Amino acid sequence: MAHETDIDVNEIIERSSGRSGNVFEYQPGDSFVHRLNPVTKLVISVSLVFIAFLFPTYPGPAVLTVATFVVVVLAGVTKAVLRIVAVIGTPLAASLLIIHGLFYPGNETVLYTVGGVPVVEQVHYYREGFEFALLYLFRILTLMLALLVTIVTTHPKRLTIALMEKGMPSKFAYVFLAALQLIPQLQARAVSILDAQRARGLDTKATLRRRVRSLFALMIPLLIGTLIATETRALALESRGFSRVGERTFLLDVPDTALDRALRWLAVAAVVVVAVWRVVFG
Amino acid sequence: MSLIEFDDVSFQYRTQPDDEYALESVSCRIEREEFVGITGPSHAGKSTFCRCIPSYIPNFFDGTLSGTVTVDGVDARETTIGEMATTAGLLFENPFDQLTGASTSVIEEVAFGLENLGLPADEILERCVENLERMNIRDLIDRNPQQLSGGQSQRLALAAILAMQPEVLVLDEPASQLDPHGTDEVFDVISGMDDEGYTVILVSQQLGRMARHLDRLFVLDNGRLVDQGDPREVLDHEAAGADRVLVPDTVTVGRRLRRQGYIDRDRPLPLRVDEAVEELRPHVAPAETDAQTNGLGGSDERAGSGNERSSMAESGGDELAAEKGNGEPGVEGGDDEPAVVFDGVRFAYNEEIEALRGISCSFDGGCVCLVGQNGAGKSTFAKHLNGLLKPTEGTVRIRGTDTRDYRVAQLARDVGLSFQNPDDQLFHDSVEEEIRYGPRNLDYDVDRIDDLVEVAVERMHLDEVREKNPYDLGHSQRKRVAVASVLAMDTPIVVLDEPTGGQDAPGTRMLGAAVNDLVADGKLVVVITHDMSFACEHATRVVALGEGQILLDGTPREVFSRPDTLAKTDVQPPAATRIGTRLGLSEPALSVEDLLAAVDRSTAEE
Repeated sequence: MAHETDIDVNEIIERSSGRSGNVFEYQPGDSFVHRLNPVTKLVISVSLVFIAFLFPTYPGPAVLTVATFVVVVLAGVTKAVLRIVAVIGTPLAASLLIIHGLFYPGNETVLYTVGGVPVVEQVHYYREGFEFALLYLFRILTLMLALLVTIVTTHPKRLTIALMEKGMPSKFAYVFLAALQLIPQLQARAVSILDAQRARGLDTKATLRRRVRSLFALMIPLLIGTLIATETRALALESRGFSRVGERTFLLDVPDTALDRALRWLAVAAVVVVAVWRVVFG
Repeated sequence: MSLIEFDDVSFQYRTQPDDEYALESVSCRIEREEFVGITGPSHAGKSTFCRCIPSYIPNFFDGTLSGTVTVDGVDARETTIGEMATTAGLLFENPFDQLTGASTSVIEEVAFGLENLGLPADEILERCVENLERMNIRDLIDRNPQQLSGGQSQRLALAAILAMQPEVLVLDEPASQLDPHGTDEVFDVISGMDDEGYTVILVSQQLGRMARHLDRLFVLDNGRLVDQGDPREVLDHEAAGADRVLVPDTVTVGRRLRRQGYIDRDRPLPLRVDEAVEELRPHVAPAETDAQTNGLGGSDERAGSGNERSSMAESGGDELAAEKGNGEPGVEGGDDEPAVVFDGVRFAYNEEIEALRGISCSFDGGCVCLVGQNGAGKSTFAKHLNGLLKPTEGTVRIRGTDTRDYRVAQLARDVGLSFQNPDDQLFHDSVEEEIRYGPRNLDYDVDRIDDLVEVAVERMHLDEVREKNPYDLGHSQRKRVAVASVLAMDTPIVVLDEPTGGQDAPGTRMLGAAVNDLVADGKLVVVITHDMSFACEHATRVVALGEGQILLDGTPREVFSRPDTLAKTDVQPPAATRIGTRLGLSEPALSVEDLLAAVDRSTAEE
């Protein structure tokens, strides 16, 4: 046991991550959100999404959006989360607000009128459509923020261990982790395949037909190469007890505290309360 | 009872035709703590032999097994791969495919198998650290496995296998896809494993490195175990007989000395360079080692190389490179610009990592071999030849045109480039279609394409497999398909990246002959290689790159007589050259013939 003391697996895993440049990547940190059990984070996020969709009007989801955003800031992952929210959220918000403001079937109350429009002369923008758009926008923002904060504050390895401790089969865990690692590998291979094909006269900057052809030419070696690697990998995994049934050890300790359990119950209770309120008061 | 017993073992993969066997009537015994080497040509059954030991055959591979394989008394048919893992571990050829692909750090990778076994966490950590230390990669413990080099990755895979505490280690060509540095790293860690109590079975074509560590050497050919015994004796038979393994230079020298009566026939053959030097020394006259002596061979190169030698003696130097920058043996001359001109080329990836740092040179014909360690800039240099990369600074001109002005597809008419990994290059259903793809992209007319395909098929000996799917062929044949598909483009400049990697003796010779043919056709052939014997034999010019700069540029004789400068970029001259240097020969030796010529001259003078 000579080495026992100088190895901190938690710290090693924390340090080893964060280099692939993937937008959904884990952001190392030590906030209270990072320390929560991954299952707790999942349960809370899903509960928040349910609640946001149970509220019939926009102020409820708006409050949830703000509250979730505060959590994002406290977790210290604002930049990583906002980058994704901005990219997906901005066009979504614009289209929701414009389309519903103009064309929502329940539109009655005019908010603004824009004159001097060709063909139809003037365009009305309605309050009902605006509010309906806000309702959906805040629901979706709650969903995005809650899930993103869970993803970027949870190391994939911790997530799988937490899920396996709750009974998920180890093979699912493997597939999940391997898939995450596969993406950068495939990207790198795609670049080398394309280089090799251009070297043999494939013109990627030519007509559309040629470009489609080049896409096929890219996919074949990419897939076959992955399949060849799979045979070796399957044997390597078998040789390391992958199919073994029985108790497994997890080197990484993912604590599940009383606080975690309390938060999970609280989240589920909140969903129930809101659902009952919705049914009773309609 | 022996630890491993093969008793009349034959195996036929389900995909093989009826009369073809991967292994045929193989019987052998391997004892505890023995170190056994296995060699033989491609498709000889070496990997199939390996797969029987951890019971991958018959538990994973479909086919018909007859005879029995037992390891530590357990019949391969009556166990599972998972159970065998604590008895026998197998290290595969590809350093990356055999990692789990699900680890974010090195320690998780080693721990994976142990976690599955359900061992206590303390013991897992202890075994992880112990084996990472044994593989000299303890300092990589927190790295992401995907970011390791080939040599590091291979040692990580081995650490993960050793952590399962097997008795038997099977290593199936563990270094064939690594550069010389990675190969050294791997051979360093495996060479002493039999002394640590492991039984080691090592498959390799690199007999020069492997043979000295072995207790016994097996030779497989066509599925049969055709020879086994003391490595010196087996290599003696091999050198006398069939063309199936690359016999180390030391053995060839030793055999000739014995045959010509210089050395007693009963003395064991030399396997190490120093042993060969010791045998040669008494038979090389002092005159041969004197720089003033005018020898018999190579007198046409005397004037030039004499100068070089005096300049190299006093420097560790980059000056030679500067002087030789435009010195072109062969075709250059006349008013025309050389085929390839690099003028002050610098290149940086992502504006950060500078891969080329001021390269100026020109090539016009012959076979130019680029040598140097991984990361020296060889592949970056090659990609500048066909415009896949354009210089950050300076210019590259191919047959008079600046590569910046043309697309890769246009430059493909002038430069054909075959990459190192064939699997990134093949995507057709048949070998013939694959070879046809390049010339068809260049819009040659049908008759010309037919002719070109025919010549390429012939040069790479692919006639028997021309209708087959490239992915049904072995790695060495796929590699030759990739080379053929570039040769068929009939470009005046041909660039080959590691063409001999993973090839057996006949394959290496075939590629060498193809390079010679191309040069004879008047083409410029640029070969990136780690195979220094190949460079010695076929290069008209050798360029050694190191850290993005040209360290040396000259004839093979000039470049390989500068071991100190070459060492900076991890290049070791071939064994014959090293023997010559150790003997202090005045004329650098490029081959065994050169060494023996020195002996002959010494005898003649007596």
